[in-house]
Amino acid sequence: MLQERQIMRIHYITGLAALFVVAVHILMRLIVPYHTSLQFSNVIANYHNFSYAVLLESILVLLAIHGFNGLRVILLELRQKSSWENGVTIFTIVAMIAIIAFGTRTIIVANGLGVG
Amino acid sequence: MWASGRKKSFNATATDRSNHEGLKGWLNPARYGWERVAYWLQRLTGLFLLIYFIGHIYETSSLTGGESAWNAMLQFTETLWGHLFLVLVIGTSTYHSINGIRLIFAETGTGLGRPGRPDYPYDALSLNYKQKSGIWVALILAAVAMVYGGNVLFGGG
Repeated sequence: MLQERQIMRIHYITGLAALFVVAVHILMRLIVPYHTSLQFSNVIANYHNFSYAVLLESILVLLAIHGFNGLRVILLELRQKSSWENGVTIFTIVAMIAIIAFGTRTIIVANGLGVG
Repeated sequence: MWASGRKKSFNATATDRSNHEGLKGWLNPARYGWERVAYWLQRLTGLFLLIYFIGHIYETSSLTGGESAWNAMLQFTETLWGHLFLVLVIGTSTYHSINGIRLIFAETGTGLGRPGRPDYPYDALSLNYKQKSGIWVALILAAVAMVYGGNVLFGGG
């Protein structure tokens, strides 16, 4: 298993990396007028761009890890008991996998590969 | 001679939970200064952003239902309250990011100064002008980002 200091290092790295990729994601909404950028055809065109799809997947993975590890840290600060800690760790890992799976499905289907 | 002076032996298994505030203590940022307020805001903004992230993943999944499903979702989110919520997301993400960078530096010891003996009035030696500036920069940039975001969302940009 990972040591806590290794988990925190991952937490900081995912946070910093997410900052950059989310900035690109937001800028993509600003290169045309914001409300125009949200039209279905424009959004689908973004998803059909493979590089942008990879960017979205990286945002998904980075933020899922950073967010749910943050939740784990908060919950562990509240209570320290072996059963609670194990439960919190399992819950956050399962939630992380679930959100990544759900988001990846959206990216794949919108990209047009037709799976799902 | 020393043992006979002991009136009560130490019981390692007894637990005194009278100082355990739990969630109420976690939610109270007062009493411990600016660093505690920054810590409290970092946790709250993090939780808020996690909830937003999950909602955003669900919201964008409507793309898979086609144009009508996407437009139906936009009807729900492109409203006054939806935009105000997004302005809040912009502010919280800016604060969380900048304060998080400050915390990464603090974790490495950068900007904390030298350790010293705590003297009255027992102000935290780590809370020097660099740390206070970092917290204020995070708050001010969050406000600026909210103004800019509001301008884009409500200004037709």
